[in-house]
Amino acid sequence: MAFFVAQNFFMATALFDRATNIASELEQATIADAAALELFRIRYLGSKNIIKDLFAEMKLVPNERKKEFGQVVNALKQQAEEKYEIFKQALSLSDTGTKQQSQDLTMPGFPVPLGSRHPVSVIRKKVIDIFGRIGFQVAEGPEIEDEWHNFTALNIPEDHPARDMTDSFYIEMPGVILRSQTSNVQIRVMETQKPPIRIIAPGRVYRNETITYKHHVFFHQLEGLYVDKNVSFADLKQTMYYFFKEFFGDAFEWRFRPSFFPFTEVSAELDIRKKGTTQWMEILGCGMVHPKVLENCNIDPEVYSGYAWGMGIERLVLLKYGIPDIRLLTENDVRFLEQFEAAW
Amino acid sequence: MIISYNWLKEYFEFDISPDDVAERLTHTGLEVESIHAFESVKGGLTGLTIGLVTAVEKHPDADKLSVTKVSVGKGEDLQIVCGATNVQAGQKVVVAQHGDLLYPFSGEPFKIKKTKIRGIASEGMICAEDEIGWSNNHDGIMVLDPQAPLGSPVREYLKVLNDNVIEIGLTPNRGDAMSHIGTARDLVSALSVLHSRNIPLRIPSVDSFAVAAHTHPVEVTVESAEGCSRFSGCTITGIDVKESPEWLKNRLSVIGLRSINNIVDIANFVMHECGQPLHTYDLSAVEGRSIVVKTLPNDTPFTTLDDKQIKLRDTDLMVCCRDGINVEPIPMCIAGVYGGLHSGVNATTTDIYLEAACWNPKWIRKTASFHNLRTDAAMRFEKGVDPNGNIYALKRAAMLIVELAGGTISSEINDIYPLPVKPRQISLTWEKLNRIAGINISPQTAKDILQSLSFEILSDTGVEVIVAAPTAKSDVMRSEDVIEEILRIYGYDKIPVPEALRSSLSFSIDDRKERLTEELSQQLAAIGFREMMNNSISNSKYHHTLLANSKDLPVQLLSYSNTGLDSLRTSMLFPAMEVIQYNHNRKQHDLKLFEFGKTYAKANGQYTESASLALLLTGSLSKESWAVKEQPADTFFLKGVMEGIFKKCGIRKYAAKLFSDETWQEAVTWSIGNTELAIFGKVNQKVTSYFDVKGNVYYAAIDVDAIMKHAANTAKFTALQKFPSVRRDLALVIDEVVSFQEIEQIAYAHSGSLLKEVNLFDVYADEKLGAGKKSYAVSFLLRDEQKTLTDADIDKVMDQVVQQFQSKLNAHIRK
Repeated sequence: MAFFVAQNFFMATALFDRATNIASELEQATIADAAALELFRIRYLGSKNIIKDLFAEMKLVPNERKKEFGQVVNALKQQAEEKYEIFKQALSLSDTGTKQQSQDLTMPGFPVPLGSRHPVSVIRKKVIDIFGRIGFQVAEGPEIEDEWHNFTALNIPEDHPARDMTDSFYIEMPGVILRSQTSNVQIRVMETQKPPIRIIAPGRVYRNETITYKHHVFFHQLEGLYVDKNVSFADLKQTMYYFFKEFFGDAFEWRFRPSFFPFTEVSAELDIRKKGTTQWMEILGCGMVHPKVLENCNIDPEVYSGYAWGMGIERLVLLKYGIPDIRLLTENDVRFLEQFEAAW
Repeated sequence: MIISYNWLKEYFEFDISPDDVAERLTHTGLEVESIHAFESVKGGLTGLTIGLVTAVEKHPDADKLSVTKVSVGKGEDLQIVCGATNVQAGQKVVVAQHGDLLYPFSGEPFKIKKTKIRGIASEGMICAEDEIGWSNNHDGIMVLDPQAPLGSPVREYLKVLNDNVIEIGLTPNRGDAMSHIGTARDLVSALSVLHSRNIPLRIPSVDSFAVAAHTHPVEVTVESAEGCSRFSGCTITGIDVKESPEWLKNRLSVIGLRSINNIVDIANFVMHECGQPLHTYDLSAVEGRSIVVKTLPNDTPFTTLDDKQIKLRDTDLMVCCRDGINVEPIPMCIAGVYGGLHSGVNATTTDIYLEAACWNPKWIRKTASFHNLRTDAAMRFEKGVDPNGNIYALKRAAMLIVELAGGTISSEINDIYPLPVKPRQISLTWEKLNRIAGINISPQTAKDILQSLSFEILSDTGVEVIVAAPTAKSDVMRSEDVIEEILRIYGYDKIPVPEALRSSLSFSIDDRKERLTEELSQQLAAIGFREMMNNSISNSKYHHTLLANSKDLPVQLLSYSNTGLDSLRTSMLFPAMEVIQYNHNRKQHDLKLFEFGKTYAKANGQYTESASLALLLTGSLSKESWAVKEQPADTFFLKGVMEGIFKKCGIRKYAAKLFSDETWQEAVTWSIGNTELAIFGKVNQKVTSYFDVKGNVYYAAIDVDAIMKHAANTAKFTALQKFPSVRRDLALVIDEVVSFQEIEQIAYAHSGSLLKEVNLFDVYADEKLGAGKKSYAVSFLLRDEQKTLTDADIDKVMDQVVQQFQSKLNAHIRK
């Protein structure tokens, strides 16, 4: 009897040792590929696996240790299952292409729609922001305008060619036109507001032109005006230089040269060119507000001075994006519009 | 305006390259638009050498070729195979050697290379006239004078003219610079400042002008002093009309003028030298040696220099002659614009009358543009010539005529100048100069600049200077104009950019519209809409055909250059339809577009401009994809977009109304009070088929001005709910005509304050429901802000609501 007990005792110890061995085997197991994973599954979790085999020996364990043994084997089974899951996941991560049950993440994403802004709006906003940073406020004015605000108050003489029906659009009411420039906003603001005045006026303007690749009957201008005491030509040059630098950056050089406009005295134009090229391109006209224009708005030119400028948005757009034909801007071909998804 | 670099340099002594001239002129305000080398022969015959043919032998393998030896004055003689039959030993010829580039009279330039012709080495070419671009002559090689210096460059021997053509884009205020002297005046003035030294302007002297005889006086009467502020002239007799000398022809050819004869050429030369147009009459055509400047009756016929018959208008000022006071005047010349056929100088002319006048720019402009005679002279008079500069020009031309055509100045100068123009006196304070300029310019520098521009300094108190402006600069009227003259010569490029920013405290103008427009544009772009930009000028036929019942009318343009673009758009829809048509024609059917723009109308004699936002949809809503079922554009998508826009604008409450008319097949309007804020829906087929557009078009128009009146930045924090919400769902079987809005209204009306949200989450129609029935699955979200709702609370509310549905809508509740 004693012998029998001893034999059972030794058997039990050996079974517990086998369990310990399987545990450390599981602990150290590694798998390299799906085949190894399958071998792992067969050995520990298959229909005839070594943990089951061990469990089948339960009858050899003395009764007082049966509960303990059951727990040990269950722990082994759990350990094997956990290990298997870990291996399986690791394998599917490293091996998406060949595992059938994982998703094909190279498929195109959900077609979340993306629209686009018109390039004229993008550049208009860009320019407004640039001048906004140095304190210019956006002002508006009418497009159907009288000759006083579009021409006369701006010191444009009666016989100036711009006043001709062949250059500007007149409508039925005498003395009323579609504004040929945003400068009308200058006058309207100065008529109603006392200096200091620091505004920009973006908007549509109209010219009676034959539509070609470089001319259209309408386009957008942006006008700027600063009137206060002691505003100087050097200040104007500074503002223009600031705009040039902000908009065009270091790849361009500029030229600030004398010009002529009826509504400015000390007039200038800003030309730019890409460094390393020869051709200058005219970007905007500007100057000190003509004393007559100030007088026309009841502002005393001996007390106040100011500067103003005007530029064409479309010109900047064509230049910036390398668009060869202004008509593309109004055709609204979606193949054109979608090219500006990334414009900002 | 074209300026010759060589000619310009006649008027000052300063070594400066053509490119530097161009740059400096641009910085004075005479913008150089282009500058290019001028050569009387293309390529300038560069590299070609005068050679001597020392031997000629027959080519062993070609009958028509000769093998020649040619000396070019140094090194060994060249062996050149030549195909010309006239080549002979002892000839001086034009030799092109290896590496020379030839510009033939016609065809592309080509390079000379050492080569073998039929087995014989040839080290160059003996050239024919056409091969070097000298003429189109190809009769054998060009044989030069035996005295031609061996080995010398051909370009020197043939006196190839080299110059630079400077093209200036003249601003309309710079009539004073419309000449070589005028341009040189700005240039030397700027160079003097730049180099701090006085570079004088050298104007050819006319001091030795002298009247040699009084044998041919001409009587001049100016009947219109308004049209002619000054008329001057004199006679020159016994001249020889002939070809101009080389220097004169060259001067003119560089600036693009063809030489006619010495008299015409001199008149042109003087005009381009000092800016004053001149006119020459054959004295024998001046009947009665009596000139009268006057207008003639309408429709008086006149034959112009180019033999065209025109009919004069009674506003065209004419230079006429009249043999006796009671005789009809004979028109000779359209004053300041164009000469007549019968009074011009021709090869047989011996006596002339030379005119230098000053005409009214406005009269000239009218006449020149009416008769479409935009001559060089007219253009100058339009810009205004110096009324005190004509006598100089007259004397200069007369002296040149005497010099180049012989003859005698045989009358005193007639000078009708009733109201002499005096230099304008202008006062400028140095304080103002510096205040406007923003930099300190010393009074001395300023005065030097002004004097070099022919201003006269009348006085300088140290505080204030008084100047007399040259009469050539008629637009210099006040101190600001003088400041500009100083600054442009000083150089805008020399004015430093201040480091500190000057600004003023100015308060913002209402920028809500600007900001909201930007926000909404971004919102629309982010959900797949593309922004378009349409012309606000459109075709009125759209309005008259499709909006015939509107009380508004299009704003009509009086004249327009593009067929069909005759009025301002009254609706954003028509340009949008054109865009759809354009894209559909290019097989681009899936469109989601928007535009912020204006519409314009005439109503009750008033013109209005209204800001508007237009949206349009056609085709499919999303790109074809594995992930999503294709969904065609419809009113509900558009409605969802519109709801998003209104949410962004903070507009929560508005009345909806269904609508349809000739434009809209089915649409919804949203309004507040009497103001319609927006309309959206499906466009009537009448409109789509008018634009030949197939398929449905969904369109929305939002009145941005009206929206701005109600838009509010209303975001405000409210405490987060403490108690949970409870949801109840009902499946209502109702008549087809019952609207969701009715269900919603009933639900809210009978649920106290507990009901927070009603949503439609499924719509279903089936025969099994019965004819004319549909099923709406509606969810109700209930919440009490004070406590957690019990089932009893909820059931009470829901029972009430269900009862109402049953009684008011005859709804059947599906279980």
